[in-house]
Amino acid sequence: MKKATTVLALSVALSAFVNQTACVSIPEEGAQPVLGTRVGDWRDEVIYQVLVDRFANGTVNNDFQVRPGALARYQGGDWLGMVEHLDYIESLGVTTLWISPVVKNVETDADVDGYHGYWAQDLTKTNPHFGELADLRQLVAEAHKRKLKVVLDIVTNHMGQAFFYDMNLNGKADIYIGGTGSTSKVERVSEFDPDWDPRGVQAATSLGNAGRAPLIFIQDPSINRVPPQPGILGRLEGYHGFGRILNYDDDQQRLLGDFPGGLKDVNTESPEVREAMVDAYARWVELTDLDGFRIDTVKHVEYEFWEMFAPAVRKRLAALGKKNFLMFGEAFDGNDKLLGSYTQKNRLDSVFYFSQHFQVYRDVYQYANDAEQKGTKQIADLWGERPKNYAAEPQENGVGIPPTKALVNFIDNHDVARFLFFARGNEQEKKASLRNALSLLMTEEGIPCLYYGTEQDFAGGNDPANREVLWDTEFKTTGDTFLHFSKLARIRKSYAALRRGDQSVIFSTTSTKDEPDAGMFAFERTGGDAGNAYALVVANSNGKKEGVTEAGGKAMATSLTAGIVLVDVMDPQKPTFTVGADKTIKVSVPPQSTRILVPQEQVVP
Amino acid sequence: MLIRWSVARLLHRSLFFVAPLVATSLVSFGAVAQAPPAPASAPPPNAPVPTDDSRVTPLEPRGAQGSQVAPAAAKPPPVDDSRVRPVDSAGSQGASTGNSITSPAPSPYLPAPSSGHEGHFEFGSYGRVWAATDLQGRLGRGSNIVAFGPRVVDEGSYAELELRREDTWSEKTKGRVVATLALFPPFFHFNGNSMNAIGVRNLYAQGSYEKINLWAGSRMYRGDDIYLLNWWPLDNQNTVGGGAFGSFDSKAGKTILAVHMGQQRLDNPYQFQQVPVVAPFGFGTVNVTKLDRPRMVETLKITQLFKNGPQARFFADDDQGFKVSLYGEAHQISSGVFQDPLTQRDRDLPSDTGFMIGSQLTYFTGKRDTHAHLFLRHARGIAAYDPLESPTTFTIDRSTAGASDTRIAFSGNIEQGPFAVAWGGYVRFFRDASTDTSTTQKYDEGAVVARPSFFFNDHFGMSIEGSYQQRRLQVIDPNTDGPLTAQVGRFAVMPFFSPSGRGTFKRPQIRLLYALTARDSGAKRLYAAEDIVAQRGVDHYLGIGAEWWFNSSSYP
Repeated sequence: MKKATTVLALSVALSAFVNQTACVSIPEEGAQPVLGTRVGDWRDEVIYQVLVDRFANGTVNNDFQVRPGALARYQGGDWLGMVEHLDYIESLGVTTLWISPVVKNVETDADVDGYHGYWAQDLTKTNPHFGELADLRQLVAEAHKRKLKVVLDIVTNHMGQAFFYDMNLNGKADIYIGGTGSTSKVERVSEFDPDWDPRGVQAATSLGNAGRAPLIFIQDPSINRVPPQPGILGRLEGYHGFGRILNYDDDQQRLLGDFPGGLKDVNTESPEVREAMVDAYARWVELTDLDGFRIDTVKHVEYEFWEMFAPAVRKRLAALGKKNFLMFGEAFDGNDKLLGSYTQKNRLDSVFYFSQHFQVYRDVYQYANDAEQKGTKQIADLWGERPKNYAAEPQENGVGIPPTKALVNFIDNHDVARFLFFARGNEQEKKASLRNALSLLMTEEGIPCLYYGTEQDFAGGNDPANREVLWDTEFKTTGDTFLHFSKLARIRKSYAALRRGDQSVIFSTTSTKDEPDAGMFAFERTGGDAGNAYALVVANSNGKKEGVTEAGGKAMATSLTAGIVLVDVMDPQKPTFTVGADKTIKVSVPPQSTRILVPQEQVVP
Repeated sequence: MLIRWSVARLLHRSLFFVAPLVATSLVSFGAVAQAPPAPASAPPPNAPVPTDDSRVTPLEPRGAQGSQVAPAAAKPPPVDDSRVRPVDSAGSQGASTGNSITSPAPSPYLPAPSSGHEGHFEFGSYGRVWAATDLQGRLGRGSNIVAFGPRVVDEGSYAELELRREDTWSEKTKGRVVATLALFPPFFHFNGNSMNAIGVRNLYAQGSYEKINLWAGSRMYRGDDIYLLNWWPLDNQNTVGGGAFGSFDSKAGKTILAVHMGQQRLDNPYQFQQVPVVAPFGFGTVNVTKLDRPRMVETLKITQLFKNGPQARFFADDDQGFKVSLYGEAHQISSGVFQDPLTQRDRDLPSDTGFMIGSQLTYFTGKRDTHAHLFLRHARGIAAYDPLESPTTFTIDRSTAGASDTRIAFSGNIEQGPFAVAWGGYVRFFRDASTDTSTTQKYDEGAVVARPSFFFNDHFGMSIEGSYQQRRLQVIDPNTDGPLTAQVGRFAVMPFFSPSGRGTFKRPQIRLLYALTARDSGAKRLYAAEDIVAQRGVDHYLGIGAEWWFNSSSYP
């Protein structure tokens, strides 16, 4: 008996030693957060745009149907991967993460996956490819611990390809090709994505028109192509049903048409839809303590929606202690006036500054080293339009900054080819122009936004080639562009003038060739919410020659008093420039470079 | 269970040191049960799917047959006086009578026996068949939410047919060849399909020389079970391999040592993959084996039986006794290369190892199957996963390092006069190897069940059963914001007819069964919203069924 007792006791002790009897629990970071306001002034932030599927793979257990190397398919990135690489993000110097949509998507369509997140199927559930709710909470909580903020990408304009138009009334989705190619034109008609029809997509038989085509929800659970959720989004009255946009300049099509690819346009005029959208997306903030929304395709939704949606979200979140919640919209359009319209009263806090993307980062910086390059006067002209096109007053209960001063600046993003892809010149010249563009991005007024991978010199072409996998870089932090950007981030953080100072252009030119001022551009940042802090940014966008801020024999005039010594805080040698007696200054800048000049007494050690 | 029956029964027959406990090896008719067949289309190793024990949980469906396939715990057969064996032969083999054919006459189909040779064939079976309704127009359906829930309702139909050859060449040398076929539902009369799923559960040969027994083949290989949970909580191997066991008398009683080594290579992409390549001659393709990494399993079990004997007296009653077992397993799986069918790219799979240690303490009275078991067990790495299942979640490098499975289980049975009570229960802590914050593959679970029975006479009786089970997953419950906790309670009434006599484990038994199962909102959430069970708080089950066992090699 003694032996038996001893053996048993040993067994119990051994089991107790090795077992893990701690009951399962949700990790603290995965628990319901307490909402709070984490941003004082959004201009102090530097946004880093991340396509979650492409950033880092934290667990292989959600790598369902990944196809490494096929960029139109899932690659395996997830929220846990982001958590594991917050050090990288911090070392880059960005302060806010903009993450791609989190909701459950249609898995795949026409052999392309919904890895980007813009094919929503259920606005109440997480995309399991990226993780579960606890994982998302962990990401936000860990980011907040490091003073990083998190902005969520949302879509209200459309859902994934949820239904088809039964144009031939046979009850199934067809794709047909008709015509002979000789006596008639060969045409392809898809019931998934038919062309715009102002009457609503029509049905037709061999005898002619048969009235409006029925909309039929697709039932294919194998790819999660099932009726959307929640509520009215799972009913046909939740959609417009006019077919695919053909002409973006036609306001009716732009607002009511399906987004190309068969993404079904939501009936955002419906009060029930509007309530559903407010509820669905405010809920994600309540669940995870997010700090802002980047809103997709805003130009495809009527103004009245935004005038309801934005105030309702602000009010609901403010009641829970979440203020200064940033909402900025994306309108893929170079029309500055159109962009500005979404910032008018009761609408959004800001927009993605797409007009600048085209007129500045493309025409001036990307086309440097090329005859197509535009003079920097184009920058001055565009910026000069801001007071007219954008709201000058902050939104009520918004972020407290007028949209004119809070535009989200970007060089490139997931919808356009990367800067380096279309940049002109040899490899060295391209990278020099990219770094120079980054200097402007980090010194101009507004909120800078960096697309992931730019810091690693990614050079992908159009979608999906511009959505490379970041982990292939092994998250190196020693590249020239990475170091350049992180230095800019440190300087921006150190000098309030670069973040909050008012902006005024004091030098621009139409010259782009061999003229002394070719490619030169300068603007002051001072006053406003920066008080007496001052910075003068002088850029040379010319890739071939040194430039100087002098035109017609006259040096650049400043708002400074004579004798002030300015120090270039970007240059390791810290060269100085002194304001002349006539308040002018002549600054020379090497090709494709930018000087950030700060009064000597304001230089931070 | 083994001890429950084997020891209790055989000792009750005064066959003192019969080695029922040789247990691990021979004895488990019921071995069938916990070893469901590998899923026909197992998920790829990277798929975010189920776990080690997709046996029951509705989160983890197992192919077409679902949890109903889970074969049953076969139980020790009733004592059959005619099957009593010589001392020391139990657990190996002996010259059985009963159904046996002794001293067969010369046959044109058999070689003439040599002098002293005796051989015969035996037939044995375990089985159960149920017909049931949910009283709402559908079939009665299982509702367990834990891996090893009560068998009532969930066990479904299942049967084994065993054909066995027994030979004795001398007092020292004996042999046995065992073939056991398992029949999986649905059966012909139910679905009209004459093609039945059949599995080979035993196919091995065993020989003994005095007290040493050697065997090799494909075999269920396990120890005592918890009948009410249809579960072998300590050791339950289903491999192709071989082993040895022997029993040795000592002052303390009897010591039994059993070792085994076996392998498995499940037909799924975690272990096995064939890919087509261009044929070396002519046209077309031939398949080559790309991934081939069987799991190797080695086991060691030491059992000490404490009973009154010629040299020692432990108890006032000679029928009483204790059994203590220590058990260990080692698992290895080699590295390999898997070709991703989506990309045709090769993916390295690392090697994996694991171990399991466990123990068992059993007390038995030797009278009317009265006994009590306590089991403890801890497994790590690949050993945390049932050998007939593949892990489906991994570390970032796709290994199972760090996975663990800890179990504490108990069971027992008491019979007094017209009353009997059987009980069982367990708690289990399973953790997969991943670092995932939220996963269904980290969970705690447990179940308790008790089945009191009253015998109106020697053949008719009534059982009632109450049970409770809970599973707690590391997944957020949106209602509570804590871990998703699912609970199921069940009450069942089971009048029965037992033609072989009175006793919890007398078989055959023909039964009526009514069971009421209640599930909470957490349990409903384990099912797809479209599943009717997700919409029901209460299930009914009204059925008629039978269970039998007799003359299996698993029950010496």
